[in-house]
Parts: sequence; C-alpha cells; structure tokens
Amino acid sequence: MPPDPALEVVDLEVAYDGTPALRGVSLTVAPGEVLALLGPSGSGKSTLLHAVAGFLVPSAGSVRLGGTEVTGGRRIVPPERRDVGVVFQNYALWPHLSALDTVAYPARRRGAGRTQARSEARAILERLRIASLADRRPAELSGGEQQRVGLARALARRPSLYLFDEPTAHLDTHVRGVFLDELWARRRDSGAAAVYATHDAEEALGLADRVALLSEGRLLQVGTPQQVYAEPVDLFAARLTGPASVIDAPDGGGPVLVRPGWACLGGPLEAEVRAVWFRGPHSDYLAETPLGQLLVREPGPPRHPVGARVGWTLLQSWPLGASST
Amino acid sequence: MPPGTAPIGGRAGATVAMGVLLAALVVFPVLRLGAVVWTEGADVAGILGSPGVLTAVRNTVVLAAAVTVAALPIGVGTALVLRRPDLPGRAFWQIAVLLPVLVPDFVLGYSWTQAYARAGFTDAVLGLHWAGLLGPAGVWLVLVVNAAPLVYLVVAVGLAARAEPDLERAARASGAGSATALLTVTLRLALPAVAAAGVLVFVLTLGTFAIPQVLGAPAGFDTVTTRIYADLSLGGDPALFLEAVTLALLLVLVAAACVAPADALLGPRLRSTRPADAQGTAAAPGRRDVRRAQALGLAGYLALTLALPLAALLLSSVTRALGVPPTPGNWGLDHFRSVLTPRTGEALGRSVGLAVVTATLLVVLGGLVAVLERRRGGRTTATLVTLTLVLPGTTLAVALLIAYGRWLSGTLILILLAYLAKLWAFAHRSIAGALDRLPPDELRAARAGGAGPITAVRTVALRPLAPALLGAWLVCFLTALHEVTMSSLLYGAGSETLAVVVLNSQELGRIGPTAALSVVLFLLVAVPALILWWVIGRLAPRRAAGLPGGATRAA
Repeated sequence: MPPDPALEVVDLEVAYDGTPALRGVSLTVAPGEVLALLGPSGSGKSTLLHAVAGFLVPSAGSVRLGGTEVTGGRRIVPPERRDVGVVFQNYALWPHLSALDTVAYPARRRGAGRTQARSEARAILERLRIASLADRRPAELSGGEQQRVGLARALARRPSLYLFDEPTAHLDTHVRGVFLDELWARRRDSGAAAVYATHDAEEALGLADRVALLSEGRLLQVGTPQQVYAEPVDLFAARLTGPASVIDAPDGGGPVLVRPGWACLGGPLEAEVRAVWFRGPHSDYLAETPLGQLLVREPGPPRHPVGARVGWTLLQSWPLGASST
Repeated sequence: MPPGTAPIGGRAGATVAMGVLLAALVVFPVLRLGAVVWTEGADVAGILGSPGVLTAVRNTVVLAAAVTVAALPIGVGTALVLRRPDLPGRAFWQIAVLLPVLVPDFVLGYSWTQAYARAGFTDAVLGLHWAGLLGPAGVWLVLVVNAAPLVYLVVAVGLAARAEPDLERAARASGAGSATALLTVTLRLALPAVAAAGVLVFVLTLGTFAIPQVLGAPAGFDTVTTRIYADLSLGGDPALFLEAVTLALLLVLVAAACVAPADALLGPRLRSTRPADAQGTAAAPGRRDVRRAQALGLAGYLALTLALPLAALLLSSVTRALGVPPTPGNWGLDHFRSVLTPRTGEALGRSVGLAVVTATLLVVLGGLVAVLERRRGGRTTATLVTLTLVLPGTTLAVALLIAYGRWLSGTLILILLAYLAKLWAFAHRSIAGALDRLPPDELRAARAGGAGPITAVRTVALRPLAPALLGAWLVCFLTALHEVTMSSLLYGAGSETLAVVVLNSQELGRIGPTAALSVVLFLLVAVPALILWWVIGRLAPRRAAGLPGGATRAA
C-alpha cells in the first residue's frame, strides 16, 4: 500500500467577510516532495498555507496531514497539534527571545528541559552555520540572518511537512541565494515534504518537484516545473512561469505560445529588431514579425542594433487553447 | 534668501514661545509651590506627621496600589478578549468598554450610590444594599471600574503595535497551545504596555478627587486630594493653607518619583514605528462557546458597573421624592425643573465656553509642540508637556492659585490656565502619535511633486491627520467639560462651572436635584462625544475591503 500523502487538500474554500480567497482548491503532496505554490500577490497562497497550518477555519473542504484529517466538518485540530513547521515571510521572530531560545522553543513545548532544548537548538544553529548568532535578538540580526533563524526554528519542530510562506520576499538577491542554498541542503537531509509559496517563477521552477499555479483563489495547473513551463494551460499560467510571446502559428494553426529560448535569430522567417536588452549572460530581442511581436533570447552581448532586419527560426511552440487570449 | 531660512527662524521663535508658555503655566507655579513651603517655614515634618494627614497619605498610596492591582487584570483581560475578531458583537463591545471614560468621575461615583447604597435602587427593589459603598471599599471598586478602560486602551494599543499575529502563529506552529502562546509570547510582548498602564493608573489614582470626595469623604475616608479640598474650602486659616500647599507638593513629588524611572525604563520599549492595527487579529481559530462566554462576561460586567448605576441615577432624577418607590406613577421632571435655574444655565454656559476655548487652543498648542519636537530644540518642551499628564490636578490648581491668585483668583481665566496646563499633554500626545504614523515619504513625494512645505502639509498630511486633530479636540473638550478637581478649588463667585454646581449640590445632600444635574452633566458629555466619535470614525482612513483582521497578510 502506498504511504499516505504528506498533505491532502480537498475542495478547500476560504472566505473573508464573504469575499472568497480560496475557491475549491484540491491538491496532494507526497512524502518528501516539494510543491511550489506560484501565484501573484492576493492569489491565495498564504491563505492556503494558513488553512493547512490551522491558523484559520475554512468555510468548506478538508485538510489531511499524513493521512489524518486535521480540518474537515466540525473537526479543527489546533496548529500546535499539527505535524507542520512554518517559515514566515516577515520572519516572525519573537523580539524578546535570543536566536538560541527561539530555536529551543519547539523542543521546550515538546517537554524538553531548558538545557536539553538549548543544546538541540545549538546543534541546529551550527548545522545552519549561524551558531555565532545564538545570543542575539531579532533587532540585532539582518534580514537574511533572521530568516535563517526562522528556518532553524521550523527545523527544530522536526515536522513531516514544512510550510514556507514567501520566505525570501524581503531578502536581497544575494542573501536570498544563500538562504535558498541552505534550504536545498536541509531539504536533502530532512526528507520531509514542503509547500513553498512564492511569486518568483525562477525560485518555484528551480526548487520544486511540482509547481501549483494559483490565481484569484483557484488552482490553474499543477505539474512538474518542465510541464508548467512548457505546456501552460493558458496564457495567464504561461506568464506566471516566465516571459512568453504569442504569435500566429507559421502554418496557420491559430495562436501559439513561444518562450524566449524557443526561437533563434538567423533563418528563413523575417523580422525587424524593435528593442534590445543586454542581460549579462544573454541578450533579449523584441522582434516585429509578420506573425506578431516575438521575444527572442540569444547568448552573449547584443549583435543586432534596433531597426536591423534579421532572419529567425521557430524551434518550439505550444498551442494555446480557445480560452486563452 | 536661501530656502529654509524663514521657516527655521520661525521655528526657533515658536520653540521659545512654547517653552515660555509652558514655564508660565506649569514650571513657575510648581516652583512657587516649593518656594512657599520653603519661605513660609512650613513645618513639613509636623504637617506630614499629624495623624489626619498621615492617614490621608497612607490611604492615598494604599488606594492607588489596590486600584492598580485590580484594574490591570480587568483591563488586560478585556484587551485580550476584544482582540479576537470572532468575539460575538465585537464592534459594540469595543465602544461599550470605553463608556466609563465618557461618564464624568463624579457622575460615576454618584450613580453607584443611587444604585447600591442604602435607599438606592437595589435596596428599593430587592432590599439589598452595600453598606461598604460609602468608604474605602466603595471608593476602590468605583476607581477600578473607572481605571480599567484606561488599562484596556494602553494595553490594546501595545498589543496591536507589538504582538503581530504572525508572532503568535509562529508559537502555535512551534507546538505551543493557546494558553502557552499567550503566556510566552503575547503577554510577554505586552509587558511594557501593561507596566506603563500600571504606572499611569497608580499616578492618576494618587491625584484622583471626585470619586473619593463623593464616596469616601462622607464616611470620613480621606485622601490627599480630598484633604486639600477640605483645607482650602474652609479658607482663611493660614495653617490649613500651608498644609494644603505641602500636600500638593508631596503629591507631585510622589508622582514624579514613580513616573521618572518608569519613563526611563519603559519609554524605549513602548516606542513603535508599526502603526497599531485596531482591527484585532487571532493567531488561530478559537472555540465558539468560549467566545460566547467571554461576551456574556463583558455584558454582565458592564451591566453591573455601568448600566445599572446609570439607570438608577436616571430613576433618582425622575422620581419625585426620596423614599417613594421608583415606579412610573411617581415619575416627573420636578427635579430637572428645580435645578435648571438661570444660575445653572450660566454655569453650563461657562463650562461649555471654557471647554471650547480650552480644546481649540490646545489643538493649536499640542500640534505646535508635536511639530516642533521633530527638531532638537523642541524635544525638551515636548517631554515637559508629556510629564504634565501625571501632574495631579489638585497640585496644579494650588500651584496656579499661589502663582497667579493675587491677580486672577476666582476668575475663569485662572480655571482656563489650569485646563490648558493639565490637558496640553492630551492634545500633544494624540497629535504627535498621528504625526509619527504619517509615512514621511508621502510628504517627500508631495514636495518632489512640486508642492511647497505648506501646500504639502495641506494637501497630503491634513486629511490623514484630521481624525487625530478632531480626536484631540474631543478629548480636551470633554475632559474640560466635566473637570471638577481643579475648578472646585479655583472657582469664585460668578465663575462656577457646571461640575462645581453638581458637586456643591451633592454636598448639600440634595439627592433628586443632584441626580438630575448628574444626568444633565452626563448627557452634556456623552451626546457630543458620540456625535464626534462617529464623525472621527467616518474620517478615519478606510482599509481594503474584504480583508479584515488576521486575513490582511494572509492573501
């Protein structure tokens, strides 16, 4: 018999004062799997995480953790009795506790003595290479350091499912990289499942086993990163996962989606360069073609000026359904 | 002329002007108080050692401590209960628990006698009365009821500014149950606010007058303030005058001894740049039956402490004679007719006029200090203004009497000066708080968008500040309207305020007329308060619809 999923959400509905925030969301996360929740702000990502963590009561639907129902019907298991660890967007570190005591908090709640809890906490801080911060309070930590303490606190809970609520939203690019590397390494050795909410497509695609696209409280698509990138259900889903152009198919088969790397300059089709952006490792060209405007990505610095007439070749495309415009 | 020259010059002038005004209103009179005790060669040890004074001082300190100890748990509990968005009828309770603030101290104390004392409402209806109401226990209980909303306000603001719901959610997600999260996180974060509320209640109780005067004095229970009142109302006796001055000085010294260390210790912990979110939030859903029980508890508490006493007061005011049952057959407006004399009308006019002038001047003065304290020179003035908050009214009145009594004794101007000195901090604090919450980038954006400094304030800042300005005006107006501690010491022939008339009527033992006057005083305060409250609510910035409470960040 296959093991119970780490998380199973069925037909979840949440409304705030009558305004729906989640509309019939169903999804499953396998043990050890990382699911990214990708959507713009206000799409319901945090609401979904809050419902899973037990911070709010959904108006309908159920949540099961490791096969046990924690939300459903009249049954609401409080957050402290759910097997989850949460990392918050705004870090949510307690201003009156040092990093060490913050990380020792979950062990204390499990009934460990102060010394035992602190020694466990110190081990986690060492694993995250932030043992030097043990005695500092949140006000004395940078954003990146605070979020690593937040991660350490979630690790100390030793849950089967981690919930990450846009943990890198307030971090600078380079700090974000350090945090994500740490997360990746912990994920390998903990073996726990995770739901990772983000509005950053690169983060979602790079981190997750599967990606769930969320918009206005509805699930648009769930699939592997490659699937949601290459085979989006509609244009909105496509744009959530990265830049995309829509042109008429060269064979006349209706509109098709073209990612920047799916076409290259040089070839039989004609175009005029309308704009060029140097992006470091590559350059993006906005090309005006008889089939529509097209974004093309080429390695290296720009080779064609604005106004140049160039040839191009379509390498790959994805047909858009009738619903997508 | 280089840009900025004129405003800076003007600002320095304004800072000096505020400093001089504050010195004249508070610093000089209080120093004069000390000088009189010194130069008149008051036998301080003798005065403080005399049995009556010693008892009054001991009563005052024990009372203040007992009130603080009881008001803190009530106020903190109320703040915690009202924070839950799922409390049935939360919006109503949020206003209802503040109602004791709207009831003038005198009216609250007097209404309790009409409800629970001998020949009061419960005595007439159930044959039950509380003999201890007139005396220390009654003074204590009514002061607790009076102080609890203040604790609630301070703690609720502290909770909203410091205890973000995510901090509690983090505790719950780390394995803490609701009680553990409350103890280890929520209350821990609210601790500075709770301590500040405690200090505030203690110091304000030291200086409180009306309730001890109504409930304590008739039973021979003296406090420092009632003793000063008695000393001064006898008049003429230099020894009693010196005793009053010495006690007034003692009061301010004790208050300062409590407030100075508390301010140094708590001040930095109470400052927050995060705007307080009055919407209230819950870290996790709670049990409905618990919420219902909490709402019932609130209802019962308010019914017994406020609704029943006020209803009893109303009944006394319409019941024709003492001793007849308060049934509709015995109702009439005789008492109102007997008290609404031209003399009362004049007193009412004086009260309203004084309150309007006080509130209007103070919004200007408070606003000026709030703006000036953003520069270094203005900070000392602002700190001094804040300290006047805990300056007991009795002390201030005696100090002003000594400093300016020679020219202004018995005039409305002296009462006005006392109001300005006493309430300046109220206006300043609420305007300064609103200025702090104004995002500086909004003004910068206006300047960058081409607006001059005045246009920027007028077009960008005035609208968000309007509720605070109006709120400051309202607080000063209402407090001045029913103020009795200072006016009862400073009034003279032809300058009685309505509150003084009510107090004198009570001292004459005229129950029905006093009840009628109390009802008038209460309505005078409550009606404009509720109207302006509503207006301020309409002016307050609206939040995004559909994302209340805990949901604001969960989107």
